[in-house]
Amino acid sequence: MELLEQLRSRQRQDSDMFIHRFSLVHYPVTLVGAASLIDLPQTMKLLQLQAQNIVTSEQPLLALSGGIGEFISQDDIPQVIEAISEGKLIIVPDNADPCVKLTPISRTLSRSIEAPITENVLRGGISAFIEDLDTNIGILKKQTISDRLRVHTYWLGSKQRRKATLLYIDGVVNGSFLQRLQRAIESHQTKDVPDLQALNAMLGFTKWALVTRFNTTELPDSASYALGQGKVVMFLDRLPFALILPSVVVDMFASDNDRSYPSFFMYAIRLLRIIGLLTNMLMPGLYVALVSVNPDVLRIEIAMSIAGSRVGVPYPAMVETILLLVILELILEASIRLPKSIGPTITMVGGIILGEAVVEARLVSNVLIIILAATTIASFTVIGFHNAISIRISKYLILILSSIFGVLGLFAGMVVISAYLASITSFGIPYLSSSRVKEQSDG
Amino acid sequence: MDKSLQVIVVYLLTHVGLIFFMYPTDIIETLEAGHWIAVLLGFAIHIALLTVYLRGLKYGAPNNIIDIFKDVGRWFAMVILFPVALYFTMMIIITVRAYSEIVTLIFLDSTPLWAIMALILFVSSLMAMYGVESIFRTGLLVALLFSPALLLVFSLAFQNVEFLYWFPMIDERSATFSYVFSKPYLLSFFAFTGGFLFLGFIPSYIPYKPRKVLIASTALLPLFLISVYVPLLTFGPSAASALQFPFISAVDTVNVSWLMFDRVTLFFLLSLVGFSMIFLSLVIWKTSLLVRSAFKFMSHIVTVLAITAVIFLICLYIPDWQSVERLLWWNTILRLYVMFVIPITTLAVGLLRHRKGANLT
Repeated sequence: MELLEQLRSRQRQDSDMFIHRFSLVHYPVTLVGAASLIDLPQTMKLLQLQAQNIVTSEQPLLALSGGIGEFISQDDIPQVIEAISEGKLIIVPDNADPCVKLTPISRTLSRSIEAPITENVLRGGISAFIEDLDTNIGILKKQTISDRLRVHTYWLGSKQRRKATLLYIDGVVNGSFLQRLQRAIESHQTKDVPDLQALNAMLGFTKWALVTRFNTTELPDSASYALGQGKVVMFLDRLPFALILPSVVVDMFASDNDRSYPSFFMYAIRLLRIIGLLTNMLMPGLYVALVSVNPDVLRIEIAMSIAGSRVGVPYPAMVETILLLVILELILEASIRLPKSIGPTITMVGGIILGEAVVEARLVSNVLIIILAATTIASFTVIGFHNAISIRISKYLILILSSIFGVLGLFAGMVVISAYLASITSFGIPYLSSSRVKEQSDG
Repeated sequence: MDKSLQVIVVYLLTHVGLIFFMYPTDIIETLEAGHWIAVLLGFAIHIALLTVYLRGLKYGAPNNIIDIFKDVGRWFAMVILFPVALYFTMMIIITVRAYSEIVTLIFLDSTPLWAIMALILFVSSLMAMYGVESIFRTGLLVALLFSPALLLVFSLAFQNVEFLYWFPMIDERSATFSYVFSKPYLLSFFAFTGGFLFLGFIPSYIPYKPRKVLIASTALLPLFLISVYVPLLTFGPSAASALQFPFISAVDTVNVSWLMFDRVTLFFLLSLVGFSMIFLSLVIWKTSLLVRSAFKFMSHIVTVLAITAVIFLICLYIPDWQSVERLLWWNTILRLYVMFVIPITTLAVGLLRHRKGANLT
């Protein structure tokens, strides 16, 4: 019994492992598995039930393997160990017969399906993905009832293994994109993927990109809609959202949930988001450009009133803006870290007390407060937090250029950002393409 | 997939970026009346050459213009394309220098010229480095972002016009075409020749329909007319001819009470500078392609950086606006070469190839 010896010695280092004597009808066996992953009493009950049904059989193990298990040779110790760490139950017979790998009744280690946390739905389904991979696939399959839905599962990583699943609709998905994506995954399958940055590296995208290469969503609706658009949905085990590839610029403005409203409102809302994006990127830069470099552009009354509000502010507009922007970013960051119960306090302290006091103390002008408040609010009109942060960064480039070159810098910054966005492609699909990723389209 | 839209947009952008500064000055200087004839003539020549060029490229498809000429012979290609590379370089130098000068004159009087030139060149060479597909996509996005400002200005520009200045509609000089070889008229072709050559450099993986480009190019005619007639109708011919940038001055007279900005010109001008950056990036990219077809060992990025550095240094050595104008005039020979010789040669070579191909099959 070399296998059992090995497992016992392993048990001394891994107290989670159980090695349990059991009798299947009259057939003595040993059950091995991870106690934290397997609901042992329930599984034993199941085994007994199965065994009673096959009481006539001479070889109950053989019968079991035909149902819910599969054979592993006793000599293949690494595979046994791997099966245990995946949460499978191993039945080791007392003689030298091959052991059986069995899918047991596992403990419930995932929360139940709940409403989304990072996305709000006003008119549409509100069940969200959870950490369990199979549940997610199930939800999505229920949402996308199609005989052309294809599912591919990969085991990624070598030290830390993780299950990943690709879903796409055959015939709709962009073929060359899918091929290149699958090739990238297959050629780096041994790389560990503990986080999305590692996934990014695995797929061969640059590390320093300012925009995300995969859109994320918690909503089965959105994932299903993306499938219909010819995109690929990827699930990673223990990640409560779907990754949608490729990510395109339209994803910032258009969500499938918009389609719950009449078309006119849908376009109006999308226009509003575009305005939000532009406001967020341009307003701080425009303020600095107009106040410190090109005040002549403004109508004289406005120029006077802005100049009036800056009376007593001791430093240039650029410093003033950076100062306040950093404070706002701090508030944003803090409100993500803080527990929900303290969140409103921070809003109060940050928004009202700090804002009021900073103007009273003549440290910044109150026009700037208005502009930056608008900027911050506007940055969250785009869809998805991952998109909101990428536009948060790009406004600083425009701000710096504007402080040097005035309105020219503002426009140059816009061109630079446009050029940057235009240069991004993922597996042949440009970031600036329409939302529908058609077959054979690359532009 | 058909990418005609991107090609058309970039084609229009590059022209729009060039039309509104020097072109009205030159045309108004050429004639005292009947400017529309001069504009129409220039435009007709432009369309004719464009047709010839596109037809030649069609015969040579899917090769780009460099490969078409190389088919005839490496030295033939070298000899015929060398002036083009020279023209492109001159073009970039003049455009960068002129636009920086305009920007300084109009709204950044305290910023040093080299800083503005550095900014314009930096942005353009960055785009050129990203490659032509990226330039096309940028063009589309920038057009979407900037066109509202342009449309606003075009619709406001007619605020102060006096239509009586339209008359006399024709005089002897304009009717007899005696002005065709005059200096300002030859200079005015600057606005026509800048853009259209790029159609021959587009790689075959960006397919487009030549017919669509031709149709879309007629959209430029109203813009050419607006650029000349808005200052003419605002100031009258004699006053307009005294101005350095008549269209900009004409837009400067516009007063809109409901806008928070005093000078609408600024946004118009900056949109044009944005377009010209795209134009510049395209020319830098083309020049890099030409340089690399002669020196194959150079990588794209190195070539672009080298071109940019050389151009920046030359730009620094141009002392004033008079020198820019002199350069522009010297460039006329190259411009005429690029305008006439290249399209016609392309057609000739294309036809030869086409016949040969027909004989073989």
